[in-house]
Amino acid sequence: MTQGKRYAVLVLAVLVMGAVRLPFERALNADLRDAGLMPPELEVKTSDRIGQTFSAVSLGGLRTLVATFLNLRAFSFFTEQRWADVADTFDTIVDLAPRTRYYWDTGSWHQSYNAASYYLYESKLPGLRRKLGWRESILKGRDFLERGIRNNPEDPILRERLGFLLSDSNKIAAFGDVNKAYEASYDAYMSAVGIGNSRWLAKRFALYSLARVPGSEREALAMAKEVRAEQGRDTPTMLGLLYTLGYHEDPSQSVDKLIDSVFPSREVAYEVLGGLWMRTRDRYPVYGVARGIALLEAELKVPAERSVLKQELPRPMIPEDYFAPKK
Amino acid sequence: MNPLINMLSHASRIGVIARHAFTQLVRMKVFYFLAFFAVILIGSNFFDLPQHEGPESAGINILRSIKSWSLGAMTLFSVVLSIVATALLLPKDVEDRTLYTILAKPVPRIDYLAGKLIGVLLLVFVSLALMDVLMTGILHLRTEMVLADQMAVAEARNWPAQDVALLKSDILAQGPTASLQGAVFSVFLRATIIASMAMLISTFSSSTLFTTIISFLIYFVGHFQADARAAYFTHEAGTGDGFWLRGVALLISLVLPDFQLFNVIDAVIEGQVLPLLILGKLTLIGLFYFVFYVIASWLVFARKEF
Repeated sequence: MTQGKRYAVLVLAVLVMGAVRLPFERALNADLRDAGLMPPELEVKTSDRIGQTFSAVSLGGLRTLVATFLNLRAFSFFTEQRWADVADTFDTIVDLAPRTRYYWDTGSWHQSYNAASYYLYESKLPGLRRKLGWRESILKGRDFLERGIRNNPEDPILRERLGFLLSDSNKIAAFGDVNKAYEASYDAYMSAVGIGNSRWLAKRFALYSLARVPGSEREALAMAKEVRAEQGRDTPTMLGLLYTLGYHEDPSQSVDKLIDSVFPSREVAYEVLGGLWMRTRDRYPVYGVARGIALLEAELKVPAERSVLKQELPRPMIPEDYFAPKK
Repeated sequence: MNPLINMLSHASRIGVIARHAFTQLVRMKVFYFLAFFAVILIGSNFFDLPQHEGPESAGINILRSIKSWSLGAMTLFSVVLSIVATALLLPKDVEDRTLYTILAKPVPRIDYLAGKLIGVLLLVFVSLALMDVLMTGILHLRTEMVLADQMAVAEARNWPAQDVALLKSDILAQGPTASLQGAVFSVFLRATIIASMAMLISTFSSSTLFTTIISFLIYFVGHFQADARAAYFTHEAGTGDGFWLRGVALLISLVLPDFQLFNVIDAVIEGQVLPLLILGKLTLIGLFYFVFYVIASWLVFARKEF
C-alpha cells in the first residue's frame, strides 16, 4: 500500500470510528447532564465578563478554579464597598460553579446584608438614594437566593436562608407587603422541611413566620403544639407563641389557667410575656399579652412605675424613619 | 507460533520499551514539577486567603479551594506532560539513532509505538498518583481540622444530633472522597486520550513543535466538540449556510474527541458524587481512543522510511 493510500485509509478510519462513537458520546453527555455532573454551558455574557480567562476555562476542568479566583476578587470589591462589582462578580461565579451553595449564599448575603447596611448607614449619600440602594440591595439578594434555589432544588439550606431573609425584622420592610413576606418565608422554610435533611430550626422558624401571618393563628397554634411535642426546647418565643395563639383561640378563657398550662412558673411567664410585648420590631402577635402581664405584675408585686406596659415601645423598622432627610 | 506465546511476546516487548521510555522521561527531570505542585497545594492550604465566611461555615470553603487548586494543577500538568513527552519521544529516538537500533531488531512497529505511549502514560499516572497522595493527605488533615472546629461550635451551641450529623456530612462531602479519586482518574483518562492523539500526530509530523502546537489546538477545540455535535443535531437540514454549518459541525464531531465529558471534575469539586457507572463509561471512551489511535499511528508508521 502506498503512503497516499495509507493516509486515505487513516482519514476513512477516523471518520468511521467517529460515527461509531458519536451516539455513545452523545448519550453519555446526556447522562452527565441528567446526573448534574456536567456544568451548563457558559452564557455569552459570562464569557464576555471573564474575558481572557475564558480560554483557561475552556481548557476544561478549570471552571471551579476560575470561580475560586473570582471569589478572591469579589472579596477585594467587598472591602472597597464596590457593591455593583460584587454583584457582577458573583453573577459570574455562579455561572461557573452553579452547584456550590457557598457562592449563592455568600453572594446573596453581600447584597441583602452588607450592601443594605452600607446604604442604611452611609450618611454622605442623599436620603432617597440610600433608601433606594437599601431596598434594591435586599431585593437583589432575594433574587439571587431564589436563583440559587432554582439551580439547586435539592438543597434545604438555601431555602432556609431565603426563609430567614424574608422574615428578618430589619429587612422585611423592603419587601412591601409584610404579611406576604412572612407567608413566603413560611413557604421557604416548609419547602426545606419537605426536602428532608433540613436542620431542626427550619420547622421551628416556619412556625415563627406563620404565626405572624394574620388569619393563620389557628394553623400556627396547631403547628406550635406539634413542634413542641417533636423538638421540646421551650424557648421564650415558643412559649410566648403558645400563650398568645392559645389566647387568640378563645379570648374568653381564663388567662390564669392559660399561663399555668403554658409556662413552668409565674416568673418565667412574666419574663417571656414582657419580652414578647417589647419585641415590636419582630411583629409577633400579642393577643392577650397585656392582660397576662397585668395579672402577673399584680401577683408578683411589680411597682407600677416599673410596669412593662408603661415602657415606651420601639417602633418596627420603618424605612421612612431611617432615610428621612436630616433636620 | 502459539497465539498465547505470541501475545506474551508482544506484551514483553511492549513492557521493555515502555520501561525504557519511562526511564528516559524520568531522566529528563520531569518530576521537578511536583515541587511546584506541593507549593501550590501548601499555598492553598496554609495561606489565609481572604474569604467571606461566617462562623457556621468557617473552613469548609478552604476544602473546596484545595480541591479546586489541586485538580486544576493536575489537569494542566497532565495535559502539558502528555503532549510534550509524547511529541518529544519519536524525534528524540531518531536524533539519538536509538530508533534505528530498535527497528533493526525483530520488533514490530506497533509494539514500539504502544510501548512508547504506555511509557508516557506510566509517567503521567505516577505523577498524578503522587499529586493525588499529596492532595488527599493535605485534604484529610484539613478536613479533620475543620471537622473538629465545627463540632466544637455545634457543641457550644448545643445543636441537636440531626443538625450535627448534617454539618458533619456537609464537611465530609468536601473532604477526600471516593469521587475525588474518580475525578483524578478522569484527569488521567483525558491525558491518555491527548497523549494517544499526540502520538498519532507525531507519526506524520515533521517536528516536535508542530506536534505540540497541533495537539494543544486539538485539545482546545475538543472542548467545543459537544457544541458542534449539538449544532449538528439541532440545526435544520437544508441548503446554504445551514448546510455548510451542519457539515463543519459534523466533521468536528467525527474527528475530534469530546473532552468536555471529562469536566465531571468540576462537579466533584463542588461536592457531587461521581457514580461508578459514569466513571466506567469514561474509562471505556478512554480505552477506545487509546486503542484506535495506536492502530492509526501504526498505519502511518508501519512503512515509514527513516
